[in-house]
Amino acid sequence: MPQLFSPVANTIARVVLIATLVVPFLALGAGYALMRSEYITGRSITTEQPVPFSHAHHVGQDGIDCRYCHTSVEKAAFAGIPPTHTCMTCHSQLFTNVAMLAPIRQSLAEHKPIHWNRVYRLPDYVYFDHSVHVNNGIGCSTCHGEVQTMPLIRQAVPLTMHWCLDCHRDPTRYLRPKDQIFNMSWSPPPDQAERGKRLLIEYHIDTEHLTDCSRCHR
Amino acid sequence: MSQVKQHPPASPSALNRRAALKLLGSGLALTLSSCGRPHEEIVPYVEMPEGLVPGVPMKFATTLALAGYGRGALAISVDGRPIKIEGNPRHPASLGATDVFAEAEIMSLYDPDRAKAPRTKDDVVTWDAFAQALFAQMQQEKARHGAGLRIVTGRITSPTLLRQINALLTQYPEARWYSYEPISDDAAFDGSMLAYGRRLAALPRLADAAVVLSLDADPLGAGPRQIADARAFSQRRTRQAQPFLRLYTVEPEWTLTGANSDHRLALHPDLIRNFALAVTAQMQGENAPDLPDPVAHFAKICADDLKANKSKALVLVGRRQPPELHALGHWLNAQLNAPVDFIAPADGNPLGDAQALQTLSRDLDDGRVETLAIVGANPVYDTPADLGLAHKIGKVAFSVHLGLHENETADQCSWRLPMSHTLESWSDLRAFDGTASIVQPLILPLYDSRQAHDLLGLMAGTIAPSAYDLVRQTWQAQRSGGDFDTWWKQTLHDGVVANSAAARVATGAPKRPDVKPAQAARGLSLLLGADPSVWDGRFANNAWLQECPHPFTKEVWGHGIYLSPGDARRLNIADRETIEVWHDSASLRAPARVREGQADGVIAVELGYGRTRAGAIGNGIGVNAYPLRTTASPWLISDVSLRGTGEIRNVPLLQHNFDLEGDGKDLYPVLTLAELAQGKQPPDHDYENRPTLYAKVNYDSYAWAMVIDTSLCIGCNACVVACQAENNVPVIGPEEVAMGRDMHWLRVDRYVPDPERPPGFQPVPCMHCEQAPCEPVCPVAASVHDGEGLNAQVYNRCIGTRFCQSNCPYKVRRFNWFGYADGQEYADLGADSVRASHNPDVTVRGRGVMEKCTYCIQRINRARHHAEIVDQPIPDGAVVTACQAACPTRAITFGNRNSKASAITALRREPHHYALLGHLGTRPRTTYLARLRNPNPAMQEKAQA
Repeated sequence: MPQLFSPVANTIARVVLIATLVVPFLALGAGYALMRSEYITGRSITTEQPVPFSHAHHVGQDGIDCRYCHTSVEKAAFAGIPPTHTCMTCHSQLFTNVAMLAPIRQSLAEHKPIHWNRVYRLPDYVYFDHSVHVNNGIGCSTCHGEVQTMPLIRQAVPLTMHWCLDCHRDPTRYLRPKDQIFNMSWSPPPDQAERGKRLLIEYHIDTEHLTDCSRCHR
Repeated sequence: MSQVKQHPPASPSALNRRAALKLLGSGLALTLSSCGRPHEEIVPYVEMPEGLVPGVPMKFATTLALAGYGRGALAISVDGRPIKIEGNPRHPASLGATDVFAEAEIMSLYDPDRAKAPRTKDDVVTWDAFAQALFAQMQQEKARHGAGLRIVTGRITSPTLLRQINALLTQYPEARWYSYEPISDDAAFDGSMLAYGRRLAALPRLADAAVVLSLDADPLGAGPRQIADARAFSQRRTRQAQPFLRLYTVEPEWTLTGANSDHRLALHPDLIRNFALAVTAQMQGENAPDLPDPVAHFAKICADDLKANKSKALVLVGRRQPPELHALGHWLNAQLNAPVDFIAPADGNPLGDAQALQTLSRDLDDGRVETLAIVGANPVYDTPADLGLAHKIGKVAFSVHLGLHENETADQCSWRLPMSHTLESWSDLRAFDGTASIVQPLILPLYDSRQAHDLLGLMAGTIAPSAYDLVRQTWQAQRSGGDFDTWWKQTLHDGVVANSAAARVATGAPKRPDVKPAQAARGLSLLLGADPSVWDGRFANNAWLQECPHPFTKEVWGHGIYLSPGDARRLNIADRETIEVWHDSASLRAPARVREGQADGVIAVELGYGRTRAGAIGNGIGVNAYPLRTTASPWLISDVSLRGTGEIRNVPLLQHNFDLEGDGKDLYPVLTLAELAQGKQPPDHDYENRPTLYAKVNYDSYAWAMVIDTSLCIGCNACVVACQAENNVPVIGPEEVAMGRDMHWLRVDRYVPDPERPPGFQPVPCMHCEQAPCEPVCPVAASVHDGEGLNAQVYNRCIGTRFCQSNCPYKVRRFNWFGYADGQEYADLGADSVRASHNPDVTVRGRGVMEKCTYCIQRINRARHHAEIVDQPIPDGAVVTACQAACPTRAITFGNRNSKASAITALRREPHHYALLGHLGTRPRTTYLARLRNPNPAMQEKAQA
């Protein structure tokens, strides 16, 4: 009787055997890596905008405070995107004829709002509140990165639930004093661990219930 | 009108294996390819309105009308969209609470079937075209001093509108204005004419009463005074109330007042006058008319109790009773020195409803009407059939209908004009006690609509000022001195014109009317009444109200004809059997509903259904009882014939699909004041000290809890609709309800009466059990507890096994069998306008997801965020749930159980506090106070009739 299997069959069988053990783990790992990849989370992806508004220029060079445009950040869930009128407070005097700003002038003239593309997008079942964060020691740059260096805004953090919970479980690493909230170049001092603990008490933050589902989901 | 969309059938479809695999494959491919990030935009203002904070709810005071009378409201608006109505504490007809109709005004505003543009019979036209045609017509009227001009409206209490109408009538002296309400108070006004010789509105003060006898009156039932009367009643019905009010009710069919009374007697409407005469005779020591023994006994005890409580006793007579009985009521009240005030009525209708309609009908017959303007009324549908207005209105050459919908009347008119909703209008209104308040718009008109002030302005022919200016002029003229603008701003802010309540009228002694005893009708009588959900039919296209269960039958999307068990046996009619009722040439065909406590010899049906031009929601729901109505006898039709058809239909019900077997007395304990004084407690009073195997959880921060006082719950359903509006609860439609499905997060259970116990109501939201049975059975931990004791439902985790629903002993979990709010909406409720009504702080749930009451977690979180910003703990009373805010009697209290000083802690210490099914060891956070009653010991000597 001739050989049913050629000698290669042994190799194939070995490879298949090993693959059945290895491939599921690899697939899981790849899936996990994919879910955390920038492709999925949108981190570091720069979004085109109708007007190439530069935070690097306005914040970095001009030193305009966040709250000049994002007016409701201290009192509401939504930080606020400035109405066209806010742009025109300066740009009716400065760069009045620059082509780049044509959509702004048009918006004011025609009374039609500008459609900005959202960069920081959370799922609809997440109810994030800016006011409660900035009033309790979380600064802008903790989530938004160093916007003063960004010509076009990009998502600086992954915005996964894992990332949210990371801080909700232990906020001490990110807590800042009240006067540093809007400082875009704040970095944790060497004794942050100790300062954070003090701030936790100062802000009356109850970390035990910060990871309750109902804090963010309704 | 859009087509009614059906849900896909629930049965498995004919899908073969190959097709299923194909679908699976394409589904997988689509899932993978849809992993990209969805594109979203942020669209800011060009110029932001001053004071607006994006996404933060703002409250504005305004006024909503019911049957012409105003009820103050604080409308909540988010980013310019009104999304919720709450009561205005400063307004005497709201007192901070709402009723079902006020809550549902949001749905009326966004109703996709609203009239959207002016139309003639054939064409969509512009307002300019109408204005030109009207101008030409009014020129003709001017020549004949308005002899052909007739204006028809509902009840009008608006000082500005009355001013405009009077100005128009001065300009056109021969013109006439007729106003009417289908749910008419003619009898009450005629009664005051008999007793006092003038048209007066009586304002009984329930809060000052100790004994009340209601003769088919329904102060606790739906109506413009419901909230005020219910609040006054509730103040006298808490354990601490001194004295605790005792309520006797004599009525032919169940009303909310009857259900909340201590003693109730079901009596044929004709015999109620005999009963009143018997009470009078007993009080005066005269000869009583002949009455059956139990009725005479009831009358005697009532009379003795009333007499023993002089100056705190009150007799109320209902709008369905004849004027003589109202006059007798006034006379009795005068003898008792009863707490009742009188005012001149707030509406400007001197004729009365019936006479106004009769005169209009005669004018139409004589061909005197050339120009007919119908403003906000629907006479083709809701006037008595013997007037035949339905056929006459269509013959008028120039007829105008201004209304929210293109309804039955618009169909007969040559011009159909869209009216702005109250939340889009400037106006003013008076409450039942004469208090004036301003109607303030929350939003610009959604469509090309105008309001009544604009139409009257056009009719007056001059370049009319805007409604805003007209209202300001009205009030400016009444004020002398002072800065008007400051006053105006304060009045708008308060939602009430200060000190504008009507002056109390000194009446003098009433005349005693000569009331003759009646003979009970031999044949069957048909009793009509206002509907608790759609009122007179004007709310028929409101999906929230159509799906709001009837307080007694729990029926939705329609109504039945109510029969007493005795009559049902006699006529051999089964419950839910379709029956036919006819009188002269008019007939009704609807399911029979047999109910205990209905008087023998009288069948009852509610008005307001059977609309043909209401819209996609209201068309063809229920039957129209107006054709049986006559002007002479608007409420009771004698000698009707009835026939069973043998056909038994499935009626959409939200309760009573199956009966409890004798557990009622544990679930819904009722204690008399005497029993309470003896120390009797409800069965599950001591539920927290029961032995348990569960580990004790320590709730160290806030511990949210709710206490519902069932003594105070009158069963009005305001909380049900409030919850629906606040929490984006979808409407599912009659077919789904008939399959036993239901989406209301809060239901009001009704406990049926038995010989020893009256019926009662028990609102049941989620119990938020500390040992929640729904949690351990969830395979994906979508049902979880949070650190404050809330039983949270995480929608994005839920995979729809429904294990939690099966394991919930309270049956408060609701499953989205279809995308009720998410692509598979009932009828036209998927329209964009309805989506605008959604509360942005609450997730709109998708298909296949379980949902339930969250204790209004969005409101808790708002209060928490505020507290964290100001660095203070959440104070007691800072979180008010939607149901709590709506409740007219303040039966619902919510708060932090861990706070020693909170209102909720005090209520939980009450001796009649208990937990529903507390013996199961679920340790619910929602608990109850048992129903307290104050029966007359004298009554117990003899059994009730």
